Amino acid sequence: MSHRKSKPITLMLLLSSVVTLGCSSGEDEVSGFAGLAEQIEQDAGQGAGYLQPGPGDAIELPADLGPHPQHRIEWWYLTANLTTGAGEPLGLQWTQFRQALEPRSPQDNPPPAEQWPLQSVWMAHAAVSHDGEHYFHEKLARGDIGHAGAVAEPFQVWLDAWRLAEREDPDGDPQWRLQVNGPGWGYNLLLQPRRAPVFHGDQGFSAKSAGGEGSMYFSYVDMAIEGTVTLKGETLAVHGTGWLDREWSSQFLKSGQKGWDWLALHLDSGAKLMAFRLREEDGGPFKSGTWVPAEGEPISLSGDEVMIEPVATRSTSRGQVPTRWQVKVPGQDLDVVVSAVPGDYWNLGVFPYWESPVRVSGSHEGRGYLELTGYGADE
Amino acid sequence: MKGPGYGRLLPLAVVSHYRRHPLQVTALLLILILATGLLTGVWDLTRQARHSMEQGDEAIGSRYQIVRQDSQSVTVADFVRLRRGGLCVLPWLEVSRPPPEGRVIGVDPLSVNCLRSADDNDDSRVAPGLGQAPFMDIGAAAAIAQEGYDSQLRLLVRHAGLSVPEPYRVTAVPGGLSTGELADSFLLNLDALSVLVLLITVLLVRSVYNLGLVQRRASLALLQRYGVPGPVLSSLLIAELVLLAVIASVPGLWLGQLLARVFASGFGQVMGNLFDLRLYGGTSLVSSYLLTLFTLLAVLAWCAADALGLGRRITGWLKVGPTGPVLAVAILIPGLAGLVWGSKLWLVFIAVGLVLLGIGLLIPILLARLIDRSARRSREPLQHWSRRELALMLRQVALPAVALQFAVAAVIAVQALVTTFESTFTQWLEQRLQGDVYIEVPDKRDISQVAEFLDSSSDVAAWHTVARGTARIAGDSVDLLVLPADSSLLDAWQFLEAVPQPWQALAIGGVMVNEQLARRNGLALGDTLTVTVAGAPYSAAVVAVYADYGRPVGEVLVPRKALPADFEPRFRSLTVQLAAEPAKGLAELRSELEALWRTGDLQLRDNQQIRQLATGVFDQTFALTRAISVLTLALANASLLLMGWVFFSSRRWYYQLLQVWGLARGELGSRIRRLSTSLTLLVGLSALGPGVLLTWVLVSRINPLAFGWSLPMAVYPLFWLEILALCLLVGLAIAALFQLQNRRQAPAPLPTTLGQGVER
Repeated sequence: MSHRKSKPITLMLLLSSVVTLGCSSGEDEVSGFAGLAEQIEQDAGQGAGYLQPGPGDAIELPADLGPHPQHRIEWWYLTANLTTGAGEPLGLQWTQFRQALEPRSPQDNPPPAEQWPLQSVWMAHAAVSHDGEHYFHEKLARGDIGHAGAVAEPFQVWLDAWRLAEREDPDGDPQWRLQVNGPGWGYNLLLQPRRAPVFHGDQGFSAKSAGGEGSMYFSYVDMAIEGTVTLKGETLAVHGTGWLDREWSSQFLKSGQKGWDWLALHLDSGAKLMAFRLREEDGGPFKSGTWVPAEGEPISLSGDEVMIEPVATRSTSRGQVPTRWQVKVPGQDLDVVVSAVPGDYWNLGVFPYWESPVRVSGSHEGRGYLELTGYGADE
Repeated sequence: MKGPGYGRLLPLAVVSHYRRHPLQVTALLLILILATGLLTGVWDLTRQARHSMEQGDEAIGSRYQIVRQDSQSVTVADFVRLRRGGLCVLPWLEVSRPPPEGRVIGVDPLSVNCLRSADDNDDSRVAPGLGQAPFMDIGAAAAIAQEGYDSQLRLLVRHAGLSVPEPYRVTAVPGGLSTGELADSFLLNLDALSVLVLLITVLLVRSVYNLGLVQRRASLALLQRYGVPGPVLSSLLIAELVLLAVIASVPGLWLGQLLARVFASGFGQVMGNLFDLRLYGGTSLVSSYLLTLFTLLAVLAWCAADALGLGRRITGWLKVGPTGPVLAVAILIPGLAGLVWGSKLWLVFIAVGLVLLGIGLLIPILLARLIDRSARRSREPLQHWSRRELALMLRQVALPAVALQFAVAAVIAVQALVTTFESTFTQWLEQRLQGDVYIEVPDKRDISQVAEFLDSSSDVAAWHTVARGTARIAGDSVDLLVLPADSSLLDAWQFLEAVPQPWQALAIGGVMVNEQLARRNGLALGDTLTVTVAGAPYSAAVVAVYADYGRPVGEVLVPRKALPADFEPRFRSLTVQLAAEPAKGLAELRSELEALWRTGDLQLRDNQQIRQLATGVFDQTFALTRAISVLTLALANASLLLMGWVFFSSRRWYYQLLQVWGLARGELGSRIRRLSTSLTLLVGLSALGPGVLLTWVLVSRINPLAFGWSLPMAVYPLFWLEILALCLLVGLAIAALFQLQNRRQAPAPLPTTLGQGVER
């Protein structure tokens, strides 16, 4: 009996923690964050068998495009700043999360699908932001039965009919197709990486606290994108630039961390910037970032080398949200203001979070995306 | 009393009665709590069940599934294929276990949210709660199935008109035993019961409070003499009532919720197993509380009318002269007419209310007058006194007596209904579950493929085919049932009406109809009916009418030879009777038939298991109904006990006088015993008539109006004896309590104030 009863409970736990992945919600979910951290600490004490990334761990491609069943959490995360045929800006997001309920060695086979195993839960998010409106949809599935999953070669990530899959273009170069159908809207895009993947932090190990906990994290920072977006029965041709994150860990946020502020910017100079801060309950936030010059090697930024501070908030459907930020990287002569475009960009899934396109002005011009978790409140 | 202390002292003086009689306020509160608890409990349970049924209709009633065209079972791979193709299908794994664990249903809570985009924003309606039996995570259900229980995976979709890829198609989920109508009937009867509980509650609360008022008349008169104005006193009494209602309603409500929760677990299992519906929602505190509050307020208004002297004037006016009986008869006549001729359900409900009101008014007055008259005729003084005293008692405790009368009537009706329901349903189940095994003939498969095997197998004693389709009668569509009239498996059928040897009559050219069709089309035995099947008319005499409790639709039963050659049944099944000691089990039978039919998805049902399940479930269901009615009866009895005891206590002075006049102590004791038992027995006896009437209304009026079929009417005199024995016990208990009290205290002299306006 205990086995039967424990499943739904685990499921809820899992769902609450999926969120914490990178998309937690308001103040009300602080306990969700802490809950996950506590459970992780508990599991660690019992030797739960999850692998924990650390300095010195390396990224291997293409293998690391695939899933990591011995890690607790991971995601594939695309944000794109696109332009329609009419020259209007259009923001787009696609994310797929995996949350493990039980760790499994990559060498072990999953239980047979007929047993409807529940070792992992998958969650997919898709959103389109256009003309001040924001469309969002969420899907959930259990792993290991084929309903949702990911493979490294040929690269494919899917849940239901949503999928990102590798294919070859006529020249033999790798290309990815992303297909998503939300209720009454959808998109069908071709993505082509224009730069080699950027490994964040120490060869891909990205610290998330002063104590040294962190995740493995790399990004395709410059994806050429073209395709169509369907909204309100109208199909729009779009093109632009995307940013695809791959990240996995077994402990992402510690108890005491309230949420995170993350941004990825495409500057008109051709340079790219990723910066985030994790807000601590006690003391200042933990900051980090990566500067990707137009030419040359990426530069990892420590907390002292990047400044990221909110300068104005916006009243939204779920309360005040910091939508205007000052970002400085003194070493690169960058001093910009990053502002969310007008609108309400809450992704109202099981666990709400903010995901909006942004404009960059100041020492540099450009576009990008802003993701905020741990703000707002339930109505 | 006047001056600055007036405001504080007066309320204290008013409630000082309870300080002197703490038992009385405790009893009053206890009865209030029990009554509100019972009321909210029953109300909540029926409301929950009804709500669940509506949800069940949404979630399960309109169920469609995706099956494979090649009749193979669907698997998790099919689920994945369809989901990845963009279809919103939900896995549903049913695992059959024998009682007491019962059936479980595995669902995948993660996959239900596609319904949100498919239809609306509320998937809670169709997403069953995981924590609520019989639902669980599909993985856990699969683990149970692996222990060796029969299981079946279905892939559910919301709409029949969905376009699905090859090699799939959409079909309706087979309903199995469709018992939705029975569930409805059961709930309607529970509703009727809760209305009765409401009525009894109101009567009890009012009578208990009234009794208190009578006892306080002296102290209230004293206050008035000290100069407290009447209206101030009345408003203080009303304030006291409000306070009592508030104090009692909170624990009462809690008790009701507890009762509903305790019953709901059994009830939920019953509804789930038997009627294929589930209790989804928790209890709603708000609606229960509103009902309780409304009831208490209504009683309060009534009591307030008393406090203002209005009620007393009316009841006094009713008790003397011809007004009471005339009014009662004036209420009874339209009530009875409504019962007999009412063509709408709500009319019958109103008529029941009128009849009960009339009976409640008439019987105590009538009984008291009859006894008064017999007292006048009696020459023996003690007998004369006894009868007068009984008549007085009947008038004084009329309300709790009526409440007990209604409770007894309700218990009699419920008992009769339940017993009839149980035996009828068991018979019907036997009839429907002929043979040991039921097998669905798979799509595009022929019976001839297995006929030889069934004929030759030593494990099969007998078998026949059942076909279902649609026919038309005077342009209206009815269900068609085709059975081989010569099958030995049909011998157990019982008919509501039939010619001698109905199966032979059917074979040589007859037709049978279900009760619903007979009622709707006014058909009787011997009437000629023309049924059109596949365009060909078939005219035959009605040779039998059979009970068909499952559904509201009409159905005709015709012999195979009456059908045109091109008749295509909508559905075919086999009924198989196994040999006394079959060498092989059901699993072997299934695999042999699956091999012959080349299918992996044979629907095979063990009828014995279903019978056991149904029996177990019925015991549980009716234990519940009985528990509710017995609780009501206990409450009514307890009130009468209390009131009778208080009545005797207030008459102690007179009884003492009898002793002074020379009546032996033992003789007085036996007089009192006779008095109290006469009272309770009279109440019990006078409830028999209303009990039978209520039974008749439930089975012969409410059911046919609501569902098109009736249950047979039966009375159970042995049960009446049990009820009368209970009344006798209560009567003896009243006398024993009084005598116990009498032995302990000397009677107080009669206060002069009590003599005013009180019947001696």
